[in-house]
Amino acid sequence: MTGQQLSINPNSQARRSSTGLGVRFRRNLIFRRSIYGILFVAPAMLFFLIFSLYPMVNGFYMSLTEYTLLRPPVWIGFGNYTDLLENKEFLNGLWVTFVFVLGTTIPKWILSLGLALLFVQAFWGREFFKVLYFTPTLLSGVVVSLVWKLIFHANGLATALIGPYTGKAEIFWLASSALTPLALIMVDNWAGIPFFMIVWIAGLVGIPKEFYEAALIDGAGRWQAFRHVTLPLLRPTTLFVVVVSTIGALQAFSLQFIMTRGGPSNVTTTVALLVYKYGFEYFKMGVAAAMSVIMFLAIIAITILQIRSMRSEETSYT
Amino acid sequence: MVQTQRATGHYLNQTLRTLLLYTVMILGLFIFCVPVYYMITTSVKAESEVVAIPIHWLPHEFQPQNYPEAFQTAPFSLYFYNSLVVAIAVVASTLIFSALAGYGFAKFSFPGKALCFLLVLSTMMIPFQILLIPLYVLVHGMGWTNNYAGLIIPGALSAFGVFLMRQFCLTLPDELLDAARIDGAGELGIFWRIVLPLLKPPLASLAIITFLGSWNNFLWPLIVVNKGHLFTLPVGMTVFTQPMRAPYWTYIMAVSTVATLPVVIVFLALQKYFIQGVVLSGMKG
Repeated sequence: MTGQQLSINPNSQARRSSTGLGVRFRRNLIFRRSIYGILFVAPAMLFFLIFSLYPMVNGFYMSLTEYTLLRPPVWIGFGNYTDLLENKEFLNGLWVTFVFVLGTTIPKWILSLGLALLFVQAFWGREFFKVLYFTPTLLSGVVVSLVWKLIFHANGLATALIGPYTGKAEIFWLASSALTPLALIMVDNWAGIPFFMIVWIAGLVGIPKEFYEAALIDGAGRWQAFRHVTLPLLRPTTLFVVVVSTIGALQAFSLQFIMTRGGPSNVTTTVALLVYKYGFEYFKMGVAAAMSVIMFLAIIAITILQIRSMRSEETSYT
Repeated sequence: MVQTQRATGHYLNQTLRTLLLYTVMILGLFIFCVPVYYMITTSVKAESEVVAIPIHWLPHEFQPQNYPEAFQTAPFSLYFYNSLVVAIAVVASTLIFSALAGYGFAKFSFPGKALCFLLVLSTMMIPFQILLIPLYVLVHGMGWTNNYAGLIIPGALSAFGVFLMRQFCLTLPDELLDAARIDGAGELGIFWRIVLPLLKPPLASLAIITFLGSWNNFLWPLIVVNKGHLFTLPVGMTVFTQPMRAPYWTYIMAVSTVATLPVVIVFLALQKYFIQGVVLSGMKG
């Protein structure tokens, strides 16, 4: 371990002389080096202990208590969890979150990959299009939500574009239990597709051309080359896109908070929104913590599932 | 005969394909850019034009005075300033401590190093979702709510930054550092004068990601601050759209445009690092 670190002279000198002095010099040096290592790492480790590890553990603990910030937490065991199982608002929140995640992951993967495949071809004006496609990524979640709230105004841009075909002068995009979840899903796709497109492009550019040439020589068609060359070689990128988009969708907050506040009649109240409501409007910290623990476990379970399904595909290919 | 037919067929096919490609490209351009165009044009329209049907693609009454007016209806310059202060502090501290720790992990050995690094990796995996409530309780307990400290400190370092810096430090040649040691340079001097300059490219990417994350952050400032004079720009903007107020869309769009400006500037100035950074940042999840 140390030989690798102290690759130069002090060691060789110590080895050559092999006197007590040389050994002590070397030990002293190793000791001093590890002290510096600890000093360099210490601020960061202290920070993570206080602001990540401790809150996480405390979050689990708080989820087992009744806590309102005013009085010290009172231990109630799994009370919050059993209550949540009967909490209609929460169960509805789980369903809303599930639908939102479904609607903002699978279309995102397919459309962003499709666009990326177009962009790895050479064509006139490619860079121009690529840079402009990137624009949604420059907007913050809050700006995206505000702009689209205006676009989805009952008499706004969306109505003006689509209204004539439906014969309606007013469409209540954000006040209809059927349309609103769809509208939010659309906005999230709009905001997310360019980012994942860039990720796919980075992955696609990394595939050596020789592989395609070999596939073509072997008589593969376009689709076959995509299925048997591109997709397997893209697996790390795919895993990244799938995991990141899912985790992002599960935690989405500003869209719902700003565009609809969870309405109308809770059709866009995701669990993330409920955590905020219970924590900072009702000040039921224990309940809110229990909800986030459930979300956390869901995130971990889904991530593991996704990684494992990728792995099993790997074996089936080779 | 057959040959030429085939050739024309191929040619037609190619034309069709090009046509299709550009149709998709232009449609995509429309979808991705029109909302942004709409934001900018609305910001200089008269309020009465905002939801006019048919749409006013260009403002009929050009009103650039929406900008100063918007900044008078609410203290947006203060929010802008708060956002900037928080972002700069967060970026500075993230860069310094990530580089220090990354270098320590890559180039030194000390007892417990593997365990510490494991902690960093697992911190990277913790979704903010689970930290939200307990982190608020912690910050509340420290008396940092309604305080710059509460806005800055919990975001002052990212595990992803440490990880990124460690990966880059691993590629630095040991010989270089040893040579400096032989020349009598102290460890801090080596870090400051040799390691940091070599880390410029990844630091640039990390700076951009961190800046964006802080500048755009909404949920944390929303809960940790409820005094108007400490609002960051994203929080301040949502005040405009609160249920009880009639929204002034032209003002909202003007402020949205201003809020996006720093990001556009960073993007145009550092496009290469920007895209690298944004792609890397996904790994934070």
